[in-house]
Amino acid sequence: MTVRVDPENNETRALLDLVDFTGKRVLEIGCGDGRLTWQYADRAKHVTAIDPKAEAIRQAKENLSDELKNRLEIHQFTFEDFSAISKPSSFDTVIFSWSF
Amino acid sequence: MVHALQEVQRLLKSDGRLIDIQPLIEAPLLKVYQGNSVVFVESDPSYDYEEDLRQADAALTKAIQRSLFVIEERSEFDFLTHGSSAQELLAFWGKTSTVDDISEDPAEQRIKEVYARVEEIRQAAGQGAEVALHERARILRLNPKVRNEEPI
Repeated sequence: MTVRVDPENNETRALLDLVDFTGKRVLEIGCGDGRLTWQYADRAKHVTAIDPKAEAIRQAKENLSDELKNRLEIHQFTFEDFSAISKPSSFDTVIFSWSF
Repeated sequence: MVHALQEVQRLLKSDGRLIDIQPLIEAPLLKVYQGNSVVFVESDPSYDYEEDLRQADAALTKAIQRSLFVIEERSEFDFLTHGSSAQELLAFWGKTSTVDDISEDPAEQRIKEVYARVEEIRQAAGQGAEVALHERARILRLNPKVRNEEPI
């Protein structure tokens, strides 16, 4: 057995209870390897997922399915750097994911 | 952190929402399961981010006081990471340099000792027993209700 993270899907349920991602432009800050991203990205119009860790971003890109490639961007960025080059009022939903 | 929340508000559309997912300020629990039964529980000795969580909470409170955001919804959930052994969990979270390293850092030594003890208990619990790290987390939905252009 390998390590299983939230196999009960408690986090995904809690997220989907609070957000309807249909047609939404989403920014996920602290996407890590995309564990949470995959759970909602197919519902959104477009997702930008960022994380400052190179290894996490490499894994996220490796795990990205063909179905999601046209609606999901994954970038290695700190939020500070990302926001500096981003236009205002760009997103319907911003997710701070365990990025305290 | 307050500045980051101000930036989030700038990037959000006026009818957008911020979702904030964070662990609660309490030590995660290391648990040994045999089937659905919990046969052992101990606080995770590697819990060292309480101050970070307090600072994040304080920043959020300040952002709310300054009318950057309003909390619309709040809920909590259990977040478990399961492993077939304690060492597997330890390596997964990268909580020590390497599991088998001999470290002179007392904190790291204690982490390894506790995880080794948990692994002994897991093995004694019989075939199919597993280990889980149990965190309690909260999720908030926040509304950037009032635009605040003043610098913080």
